Amino acid sequence: MSVDTPEGVGNRIRRLLPSRATDIGVVLVLPGLVLFSLFMLFPIAFLVYLSITDVSRAGDVIGIFQGEASIVWFANYLELFTDGEFWNSIGVTWLYVGVSLGLKLVLTLVIAILLTHDRVAGKRYMRTLVIVPMGFPPIFVITIWRAIFSPAKFGPFNRLVSAYNDVVIGLTELVDTIAFFLALRAPELLLVDVPVNWTGGRWAAFFGYVVTETWLAYPFMVIIVVSALQDVPMELHDAAKVDGAGYLNRLRHVTIPAIKGPLVFASILTAATSFQNFLIPWVFNKGGPGRSNELLLVYGYREARVFNEYAMSSAIMVVAIGFIGLFMWLAVKKTNLADGV
Amino acid sequence: MSTILDAIADLRAGRRSPVDVAKSALTTGVAIGLLLILLFPVYWIVTVALSRGTTLSSPGSLFGDPATYTLDSFRWVLENESFRRGLLNSLIVVTVTVTVTLAFSIPGAYALSRREFFGRRKLLYGYILFTQVGAGLSIAVLIALYALFSGIGLTNNLLVLGLFYAAGAIPFNTWLLKTFMDNIPVSYEEAAIVDGASQWQVMREVILPLAKPGIAAVLVFAWTAGWNEFIVAQTLIHDPDLYPLSVELYGLIGDRRGTSWPQFAAFALLFALPVAIIYFLAQKQVESGLSFGGMEG
Repeated sequence: MSVDTPEGVGNRIRRLLPSRATDIGVVLVLPGLVLFSLFMLFPIAFLVYLSITDVSRAGDVIGIFQGEASIVWFANYLELFTDGEFWNSIGVTWLYVGVSLGLKLVLTLVIAILLTHDRVAGKRYMRTLVIVPMGFPPIFVITIWRAIFSPAKFGPFNRLVSAYNDVVIGLTELVDTIAFFLALRAPELLLVDVPVNWTGGRWAAFFGYVVTETWLAYPFMVIIVVSALQDVPMELHDAAKVDGAGYLNRLRHVTIPAIKGPLVFASILTAATSFQNFLIPWVFNKGGPGRSNELLLVYGYREARVFNEYAMSSAIMVVAIGFIGLFMWLAVKKTNLADGV
Repeated sequence: MSTILDAIADLRAGRRSPVDVAKSALTTGVAIGLLLILLFPVYWIVTVALSRGTTLSSPGSLFGDPATYTLDSFRWVLENESFRRGLLNSLIVVTVTVTVTLAFSIPGAYALSRREFFGRRKLLYGYILFTQVGAGLSIAVLIALYALFSGIGLTNNLLVLGLFYAAGAIPFNTWLLKTFMDNIPVSYEEAAIVDGASQWQVMREVILPLAKPGIAAVLVFAWTAGWNEFIVAQTLIHDPDLYPLSVELYGLIGDRRGTSWPQFAAFALLFALPVAIIYFLAQKQVESGLSFGGMEG
């Protein structure tokens, strides 16, 4: 037991407190970084390399290390950019991102405005319930939606379509009985052919993807927007009311500006996620019918695993990683995630 | 309930006009209606799991017959060989994922939060970039890794699978924990050092206990990542004896004719329940992890 002089204590604190000590920090960070590099950064570099070789089967990839592959430089990319299937996949992917984002934004705004509205009783319970989809594993949610969109005649969604048809026919008959001299028949345009083949029809399947994606992703957006709406001071609304602003005006000038930032943030993140979606098309019908609905990652994956074109698949994946990189950059630039680094 | 009683009392006393109350009732009704539509899939899958022998090709009621609801399907799943095997495999994978994640992200997060070292800011920025993408990159690199792993015999290995999940989520988990540790006041550490604690003791006795909620959040994320993931597992595992639950579940839906819908639904619900329960118990931490605490207003 030695009693420290005041200076001794001071020195010891200076020695131990976070300082320019480079050693221990690096030692602590390195294991995680190495593990991440092994499973992520190295494979990315390896993909880039594969994409300029001519390997085709998985078994040949390992042969690269024995120098069995030849470098073909950008031949794969040239072939890719002149391939209609590739452009179709890019187009479908962006269409999927755009359509589902639009749907998510509308749904999110409706839900968020309702669940922060003065006139809605029991808001707190509803907020808990509305984000329930988030608590489920994606594979569970997607298999369920796959069942809902069953092509069978009595699949849940096909029943809904039949019910809709009955309503249209019923309405026309009603009008017909009132105005009997018109001899109306239900307009073919408004009726849907039942059963809809949700897995075998191109746009029917695409519709199924978008609905599923929306249901998977809206809770995340609702959480962010609701918390932003709760931060809008009531004084603002009151002031607007005093100035004679109606509900729509207040929505435009008070509510929307207050949630614009969070909405952009949520949109970027959800767009990035849906761009990288793989499971929905895969579980529904493997991006079918044929190869018409393959989102980019599904397209690349099948190119390798089903068609044994590893070099081509790597080129596709490199393109996908490029897009993902853009999203990463956008997410960090447009939000304050990286502030204070 | 009290809202309704209050409204009635207000009406009687003339504090609110009937029109005003009607408006509120209508808006609430709209909200409830929307909620019911949104939650239809959940309600439907539960009724399917409880009903008997419903198939999608029978014209009966969509929700089966409530009079004949039974737990038979759940019993069938719990006694089912492939469910038990899948559960065991999933638990192995999840254990590996959680252990590796905690072992690698806690020291890293501490260093990033409390230490100054060469390249710290660059590394942090890189990690933040990678927090925003996960699943997509995993699938992109999966092609390369699959080819390599099958070449050197690392497929069909649950440990490798768990390691893969942990590795992919290191940036996210490290960064989440780091932001959490940033909120622990340095004065605690100073006090411990004044009392003569060593570096190691400071970490163990001060930081770890105070970072518990953050560690819990990371644990939840790691656990659910390992439990939920499907495509990497399906690619790297070929041996049906080693399938985790997610792959088993997919197998049920792929096999159209052989699947009884109630059994599929019960299997799916039993697979999803642990995640849902954990998720709602840890909702606060999960939400803080999702919005990164960075988007206030």
